[in-house]
Amino acid sequence: MTALRLIFGIAFALLITLPRAGAEDKIWSAVLLASNVAQPKAPPAELDAVCKRLRNLLGYNQVEIIGSATAKIDDMAEVQLAPTSHFSMDVKARRSSAKEARGGYLLNLQLFHDKQQLVDTEAKIAPESPLFIRGPMHARGQILFVVLVQP
Amino acid sequence: MKTFEERYTGWIDGKLTAAEAAAFERELESVPDALPDKTDALRLGDFLRRHADAPSLTNADFFSHQVAARIAAESGREVKSDRRHWWQWSIPQLAMVGSACLLLAGGLFKMMIPTGTPEGAGTPYFAEIVDARTDNPHVSATPVYNPKDNVTVLWLDGLDYLPASAQLN
Repeated sequence: MTALRLIFGIAFALLITLPRAGAEDKIWSAVLLASNVAQPKAPPAELDAVCKRLRNLLGYNQVEIIGSATAKIDDMAEVQLAPTSHFSMDVKARRSSAKEARGGYLLNLQLFHDKQQLVDTEAKIAPESPLFIRGPMHARGQILFVVLVQP
Repeated sequence: MKTFEERYTGWIDGKLTAAEAAAFERELESVPDALPDKTDALRLGDFLRRHADAPSLTNADFFSHQVAARIAAESGREVKSDRRHWWQWSIPQLAMVGSACLLLAGGLFKMMIPTGTPEGAGTPYFAEIVDARTDNPHVSATPVYNPKDNVTVLWLDGLDYLPASAQLN
């Protein structure tokens, strides 16, 4: 019975000391406009870490946020995000067990322009690792969409 | 005054005085088995003195167990050992152990499987397109990941150009 008490003790200690991980995750999405201007503005704070790399990849010197939306997500969550009135996303989230995802999500994401579906994609993303979608070209520049999980 | 048993034992062992022995033997005339009993007792005593060394036991525990089992079988009572092995546990005990193991497994699962962001882990980039489809046959969706820039972009080609009059927000 001593061993039994020890097992119970260890299990109880494990349960009460473990963090309640992932309870407050949020998904942030935005519609961006990338363009080349004479005097580029500073990048959005949310994209500060990757903006330089994004500029290198796409060849634009300015990225600005047209609109954004945030929702709480957890395992098996389904949310609709509407960063602007013309662009929206339906997102189904599942926890990813992939080690590289570091507790992130496997997202099933459908992107809409008004009522027209632009793409239906599945992606694994780690927290604080934005996923970009290169959308249509606009007269003012390149439209981009971004999805970011914030713990 | 010595009891009969004391005098009988003294008589067999030869510890009585001559007077006492003579008086006791007169008393024993009414007990016909007394003399053969004394002869047997003397023979047994002599035998035990000559074979006093007890054989050494090589498996004392096994011997004790056999004796205990034999006693239990003959007396109809179960000999209970102080220590019980796990396979002798009762159903409630097994259920409790099972619950404890499940609890422990649950704790370890929560601890070992990553959920949420580890504190202080930094933010190494990871975004991977698993699959991408479009309804429009003129539109293609291509995952682009440049290791040098470490950014993942789902590249949609073939979408309609949006004129300046098209509202974005």
